[in-house]
Amino acid sequence: MDLHLTSEQTLLRDSAVKFIQAAGPKVARAFREQDPSFAPERLRWAGEVGWLGMLVPTSADGLGLGLTELALLLEQAGRGLVCEPIGFAAISAAALAQGGTPHPVLERVMTGRALVVPALEESGYGDDPLSPRTQMVGEAGALRLTGQKTFVCADGADGFLVSASGPDEPALYYVARNARGCSLTTTQTVEGRKLATLGLAQAPADLIPPHPSSRNAVEALYNLALMALSCELLGVMERAQEITLDYLRIRKQFGKLIGSFQALQHQAVNIYVCVEAIRSLVFQIAAHNEVFDIDPAMAIALKAKASEDALFVTEACIQLHGAIGFTDEHDIGLYLKRAMLLSSLFGNAAAQRRRYVALANITA
Amino acid sequence: MFRRDTTAESHFRIEVRTWLEANLPLALRGRTARPPPAELMPWYQALSRKGWIAPHWPKHYGGMGATLNEQIIITEELARIGAPQLPAQGLNHIGPILMKFGTEAQKAQHLPPIIAGTVIWAQGYSEPGAGSDLASLSTRATLEGDHFIVRGQKIWTTWGHHSDWMFALVRTDPQAQPRQAGISFLLVDLRSPGIRIRPIKTIAGDDEFSEVFFDDVIVPTENLVGKLNDGWCIANALLGHERLASSNPQFPLMALERIKTMARASGVIADPAFQDRLAAASINVTALSALFSHAVELTNNNQSPGPESSVIKIFASELLQTLNELLVQAAGGHASTQNPITTNFGVVDVAAPFLQSRRVTIYGGSSEIQRNVLARRVLNLPS
Ligand SMILES: Cc1cc2nc3c(=O)[nH]c(=O)nc-3n(C[C@H](O)[C@H](O)[C@H](O)COP(=O)(O)OP(=O)(O)OC[C@H]3O[C@@H](n4cnc5c(N)ncnc54)[C@H](O)[C@@H]3O)c2cc1C
Repeated sequence: MDLHLTSEQTLLRDSAVKFIQAAGPKVARAFREQDPSFAPERLRWAGEVGWLGMLVPTSADGLGLGLTELALLLEQAGRGLVCEPIGFAAISAAALAQGGTPHPVLERVMTGRALVVPALEESGYGDDPLSPRTQMVGEAGALRLTGQKTFVCADGADGFLVSASGPDEPALYYVARNARGCSLTTTQTVEGRKLATLGLAQAPADLIPPHPSSRNAVEALYNLALMALSCELLGVMERAQEITLDYLRIRKQFGKLIGSFQALQHQAVNIYVCVEAIRSLVFQIAAHNEVFDIDPAMAIALKAKASEDALFVTEACIQLHGAIGFTDEHDIGLYLKRAMLLSSLFGNAAAQRRRYVALANITA
Repeated sequence: MFRRDTTAESHFRIEVRTWLEANLPLALRGRTARPPPAELMPWYQALSRKGWIAPHWPKHYGGMGATLNEQIIITEELARIGAPQLPAQGLNHIGPILMKFGTEAQKAQHLPPIIAGTVIWAQGYSEPGAGSDLASLSTRATLEGDHFIVRGQKIWTTWGHHSDWMFALVRTDPQAQPRQAGISFLLVDLRSPGIRIRPIKTIAGDDEFSEVFFDDVIVPTENLVGKLNDGWCIANALLGHERLASSNPQFPLMALERIKTMARASGVIADPAFQDRLAAASINVTALSALFSHAVELTNNNQSPGPESSVIKIFASELLQTLNELLVQAAGGHASTQNPITTNFGVVDVAAPFLQSRRVTIYGGSSEIQRNVLARRVLNLPS
């Protein structure tokens, strides 16, 4: 179903569509296993046009936009298999700007000259974001973090937003990549980029205070990350669907186009139903939530469903292609792998459902 | 759900909730089968007197002219209190069709009684030989001067035996090609001579539908809606809206509450495997709410939901079945008990809603037909 957009939103979407014309499977392929696995100049370009500061208030030189704009941009990023971590950069910029005085690194993050990414996960399976094992000790001016963060998208990162427990509520901290006591161990993913384990041994850190409208900066960033990942998953599903429908319209077997076979038509509709449901969820949640005050049950529900459906859709798309879909040479596999990566980050479908049980009062 | 009420909306919600609490008879709450007219219609009429029977109808036809959010609030509050399903053929089908295609006389005669709840309507489309392939229908209406003579049979007519009027698709041109071009849309007074109606018992044990026989029934020509042989277009014009109205999240929300009660009573609520399935289903109810409210927004902006609305029909109906399958699992050994089960957490009906839910993927265009339509009309797949 169509979206009801303002003319500014339509313009934003159009420029995002232009941006991804220079991206796509071919570019994504070229960046596989590179270091960094994206083009820094394109990240700077995204900064120059304002996208990285889109959620940052105008008082801090951002665009002061909301979740609908974020969704429109990241949906395109997903469609284009964009390698530049626009989503993580944009939500991190928002986090850096949320307190009264923005963190000094903000300006460079907004312009794409520095990359800051969230580092909130610890176990990789259903973490409670509000109970990090990473510890903060020290006092104002001399805060130190000790612990370990996993599955950090650290490619090209200059700093991290880290959650840690302390004397009070868990809080959010900024840690520079080159800080003392900060170490990275990377693993290669099938998708092409690397994930890192971030070791913190008394690493110096700056406190990032919460936005006035949110209860906790860690929770707010976590929910924002679930939203961002889901928007990209939506784009991945959409594009995989289009590629597959095109194939169903040209491939012939038994003297007929395979798209005329009812079994395949019905599976194509199953894919379509998933895509439509995720699109409605993304844009309804975006329309009814504030950047720093996303209803956690909604964010969890969205990430659970987007993670599961994106895998179903991209797996089904490979099936509908036959053997060609199983080759590295065909693009459809890139969408499955992107879906694998995004689905697994910040808690996969099963992990989110476990959190949903606790949060949405299902058993009470 | 993801929506947050404005101050005005939350006042409206409280007004609706308070009024429902005070006025919906206890005996009508949490019913799984539609209660018989003698029990149900006084409630219909009470809603009508309150002015809330037709939230989606314009004010000048006696509706509420409600905003999207008010419509959703009413839906949510009806679900919350477990309100019974009302006969909807008048409110959701023939009402809107007459507003669009009816003559002034037809509107004046038929719309007020629908609002008042004094006339019950039946939909006469399906026939023994014409189900999914509706265009093959053969009930014949022959024009003779100022009236039609109708002969044939309709079947699966919801509440046929309780209804006063039927809107029917009839064949007026047996030679027409395509077959769709020989069908007209008629309003038939079910009290007319030559009509015989027999209720049909369903797997759920109630007699929700019936078969209707027409033996040379006289129907005046002023009961023709639109032009002769235009019936197919008329019946299809508002399909999108009908699918939308029948896919609101009210019933899935009610099913979810029923599952939780049953699962607490049986103890399965503590089983992580069950919790995972319940979370998945519950998340899908959220997704349905998003689809629904997205579609209603588009409709309110005069962008018709169009063939895409089949997505919601598929999603809502299959979800309702998943939920009821979960209810059966939650009930364990109680699942096949005929009557509602009394538990420490309340009375829960299990077998009846489970059995009822098997129909939703059959009527209003089966799931398979919706998928055919989407594949060809929306996804443009070859035939
Ligand atoms: C509870 C209930 C209430 C109803 N109320 C009314 C009413 O008030 N008025 C009215 O007019 N009708 C009513 N119906 C009838 C309903 O519209 C029909 O049942 C429906 O159109 C399917 O037709 P059928 O039952 O003849 O099944 P068939 O068309 O015979 O279908 C049998 C099976 O074959 C599948 N199938 C058929 N064609 C295809 C195809 N081309 N591709 C793939 N699969 C196919 C169907 O999906 C189904 O699974 C009601 C039905 C039910 C269950």
